[in-house]
Amino acid sequence: MNFKRTLSALAIAALMLPGAALAQNIRLGADVDAGTLDPRVMRDTTAYRVINLLYDGLVQLDASLQPNPDLAESWSNPEPTVWMFNLREGVKFHDGTTLDADDVVYTFETILDPDLKARFRSLFTPIETIEAVDPQTVRITLKEPYAPLLSYLDMGIVPKDFVEGGGDLSSNPVGTGSMKLNSWERGSRIVLEPFADHWSGNVPGNGFEFVVVGDNTARAQAFEAGDLDIIQSPLSPQDIGRLAEDDRFQNAIMGGLGITYLNINVSDPLLADPALRKALSMLVDQETIVGQIYEGVDQVATSILLPSSWAYDASIVQPRFDPAGAGEAFAAAGWTDSDGNGFLDRDGEELALTLSTHSEDPNRIQALEYIQFQMQENGVNASISISDWPAFSAGVRAGEHQVALLGWLNIVDPDRLMYAQFHSSGTLNWGGYSNAEVDQLLDTGRASIDVNDRIAAYRAAAKLIANDLPYYVIAYQGYQVFYSEGVSLAPDARGMMRSAARN
Amino acid sequence: MLGYTVRRLLLFVPIAVGMVAVTFAIMQLLPGDPAAVLLGEDATEEAIQDIRRALGLDQPWWIRLGNYYLDLAHGDLGVSYFQNQPVADAIGQRLVPTLEVAVVALLISILLGICLGVVAAIRRGSAIDACCMLFAQLGVSMPVFWFGILLMYLFAIQLDMLPSIGRGPPLAPALGKALTGRPADLWLALTHIAMPALTLGLTNAAVISRLVRSSMLETLGQDYIRTAKAKGLLPMRIVLVHSLRNALLTVVSVMGLRFGALLGGAVLTESIFGWPGLGQLAVAAISQRDIPLIQGVVLTFALAFALVNFLVDLLYAAIDPRIRYE
Amino acid sequence: MIMKAGSRNLSLTVGGAIIAVIVLFVLFGPMVSGYEFDQMDMRNRLQLPSALHWLGTDNFGRDLWTRMAVGARVSMVIALSSVAIAVVVGVTVGLVSGFFGGWVDLVVMRVVDIFLGIPPIVLALAIVAALGPGVVNLTLSLAAVFWTEYARVVRSVTLSQREADYVAAAVALGSSKIRILFVEILPNVVGPVIVLATLGIGTAIIAESGLSFLGFGVEPPTPTWGWTLAYGTRYLRSDPWLSTVAGLAIMITVLGFNLFGDGLRDYLDPRGVARRHRRMSSS
Repeated sequence: MNFKRTLSALAIAALMLPGAALAQNIRLGADVDAGTLDPRVMRDTTAYRVINLLYDGLVQLDASLQPNPDLAESWSNPEPTVWMFNLREGVKFHDGTTLDADDVVYTFETILDPDLKARFRSLFTPIETIEAVDPQTVRITLKEPYAPLLSYLDMGIVPKDFVEGGGDLSSNPVGTGSMKLNSWERGSRIVLEPFADHWSGNVPGNGFEFVVVGDNTARAQAFEAGDLDIIQSPLSPQDIGRLAEDDRFQNAIMGGLGITYLNINVSDPLLADPALRKALSMLVDQETIVGQIYEGVDQVATSILLPSSWAYDASIVQPRFDPAGAGEAFAAAGWTDSDGNGFLDRDGEELALTLSTHSEDPNRIQALEYIQFQMQENGVNASISISDWPAFSAGVRAGEHQVALLGWLNIVDPDRLMYAQFHSSGTLNWGGYSNAEVDQLLDTGRASIDVNDRIAAYRAAAKLIANDLPYYVIAYQGYQVFYSEGVSLAPDARGMMRSAARN
Repeated sequence: MLGYTVRRLLLFVPIAVGMVAVTFAIMQLLPGDPAAVLLGEDATEEAIQDIRRALGLDQPWWIRLGNYYLDLAHGDLGVSYFQNQPVADAIGQRLVPTLEVAVVALLISILLGICLGVVAAIRRGSAIDACCMLFAQLGVSMPVFWFGILLMYLFAIQLDMLPSIGRGPPLAPALGKALTGRPADLWLALTHIAMPALTLGLTNAAVISRLVRSSMLETLGQDYIRTAKAKGLLPMRIVLVHSLRNALLTVVSVMGLRFGALLGGAVLTESIFGWPGLGQLAVAAISQRDIPLIQGVVLTFALAFALVNFLVDLLYAAIDPRIRYE
Repeated sequence: MIMKAGSRNLSLTVGGAIIAVIVLFVLFGPMVSGYEFDQMDMRNRLQLPSALHWLGTDNFGRDLWTRMAVGARVSMVIALSSVAIAVVVGVTVGLVSGFFGGWVDLVVMRVVDIFLGIPPIVLALAIVAALGPGVVNLTLSLAAVFWTEYARVVRSVTLSQREADYVAAAVALGSSKIRILFVEILPNVVGPVIVLATLGIGTAIIAESGLSFLGFGVEPPTPTWGWTLAYGTRYLRSDPWLSTVAGLAIMITVLGFNLFGDGLRDYLDPRGVARRHRRMSSS
């Protein structure tokens, strides 16, 4: 049932729906205002979604995350560390100037400059040099082979002359996208209008209006009241069933590009024991969390690899929910309830741990509350700690957590989710997980150009991780969109509309 | 009068200085690092340190506080870490929407509160009185966000009368247009502002109706009112001219104190109705550790609070000729 | 006159009765239900009231009656202790400031002004964020918002009492300052403070729910009314029962304390000192 819906949703995302109300702006609900409209320094989901319409990248990722030509008409890879891109001719920026190789070079050079404070800088640090061979050709030289590069090159290209001339892209965006900024009322709405000179020569007649409503419930109500045309994840699961049954609305659930997971801190004295990590993960009732708390929008996860990824292998599985099995595993590791107080203990020490997450996502708090209940029922004295995002993330970053509920988004390549997190030298390896075999496999996956080598490497690494359990992946995040009748466009699995906004 | 104004303004300076220090101290206590939040969860430690340097966060706290005071003395509120714009601009864009909804909420609550209070006082002891006072009690007993969401459900979804979210055209220009015979914008603005303003004004309306009622009852019981009655003046005029003036004095003084709470209380209302005001900005700034922005918002609130109370004192003197400020 | 006395008694009686019912609910509610407040049952989520679950169940299938009763205890602890802290701090500051006057008064009242100028909910949010969530920290943050009100009222009462004849008499008789402060002046501020405190409890309960709605409440699975309402609001359309129960419980309780406070005010404070100085924070 769910799977069927997923399939049809992918089809919808790729197509334009009939019945367009052309002149009317399409109004999309957004949970936060964009912080900036400069693609190089974007941070929040709204900024991603708006910038995706305002700017084009060298490549465009399709529904299966394969890079397709966009501003780059074609590319080649003459050596493992050299990439050549041929740019499309006659591409206009919104200010009327023409795009050339200097703009591309400028975009990535500034991203690599620490002073710009670009959030995605680390994705591009394997780049040694980027240079303009001629006005239509760009050459990227890498320090070492770096297979994921193409997946990240959908980054919006900015106009060099405009920025160097003192233009401020953060509030006055100038891209080559099929939409340009009409007005931006901070905290309230961002209005985009069609850019008639778009290189595709084929832009829709309508513009877009991103309307900011912070509260999920209120946003869903606004959609029902007809004041929004499209709402999309994040949504309250409680609203999803009701909206799905409403004849006035179409809806689509797609496999998203994110995971929700438990970060089990392997450097914690208690949790350093893999047997204990395994027993604990058998107390996570994924079915109930996904089915009841997330109301079936997400999918039960089996491993670190996403089903939408080319590396996915359904045969790699982490431990499943099995309280009896967990009990045996605890006993095998020496944990028993010797004093009969309902909690397990060993050498006079009670099995107690803290589950933590942040206060911004009520669904995660509910999931954690449920996990805590299951642990309590099965002899683990688990408590919950919830703080706001900056405080929580500072604790996790410092490796002070025990078990933290977190998520990763925009996993367009397995490297993005695995290298920094599980490599001994990984920058996001907060728990200090270290496995020489995994290190080697991740290096191979990053450097190989042959996709079959990469698949083999990531599958082998995923298998080891499903056994070592520095992460326990609870769910593959679903992406949900609702749109009212007469709306002609639907976003893709990341909530992006770049391809939908061209005919 | 001028001397009085100057004194009041000077009095604000030490308060502002203290307020900056208190806010700064709380910010120091907040766990979490703006630089880390700025870069997102996938930031490297090295990148975070770079940003800390760029933002000046690597300096000791007394230097940062000192620098802030220096900038403030030059009228510079600094640059927001997250909004990519000067704090003054960010606040400027949000101030007008917040004032709009606060002023309309105040008007609604004063009108509603006075009507209910007067009616209840005149019909003291009747069923009408009981109903009005029950409203007043329930009004202060209801959590604001619950009331807001119920209101939205009723008027935007069930009855489909009002837009559920967002702000219409700016109110002041719309009012101007309406005066020159083009009321469309004003209508649009009012339909958008109705629910947020009602949500925000509910508690106030309840408070005012009680104040008005009790103040009127007090006045109605006094000798000079009895005398006026004996002289054969119309009961309605007695009520309006004599009692209401006294009631207004109470309302004005309490409203001055409540206006600050009204501005701050807009946080929940704004988040429900997607209203682009200062309250939402304040919450976002706290949850992102945007220190310059928090400082700016707090100072703005404080200044507004001080100004309103100054106006209240002037208004007080206008209503009651016995009061003079030297 | 008879009318007035009657309505005063009515407020006191109704308010007192509501409070009494809540106290009974807090004391015996969890015992009589036969459920633990944190016992989940995912197959019986969001049930309507039945013989098994008198108030139905919440989003985890937990018995709502038990959770409301235990939650009442938590909410009351937060409300009562935040008001108590605010009273102790506020009364002390107000007494000292009003009694000693001069530069002490000037400095202390500027500090009060500073706290008054920061919007209540912003101050509370920042403090909860700084200290972390939890019953104790939430209580402290509410107390930090509330104390200024008591300081101002007590100061103005003290100022007026300081000039009163009997204080002058006490000074002439050679009483110590401390003695005058506590024996002569303190009793006069008790009335207004009790009235304000009663009304403050209602404000605290509502403030707790607002903070929970913004995600700054007490950590689960501790049940507070604010959490239940904040969660319930998300189920407003599919299962309105949850938020109705929590919302009505909050409303009726706050109503009870407010009625009681009003009744007390007419009884203890007929001159309306507390009323004139009340600063109600809406959040």
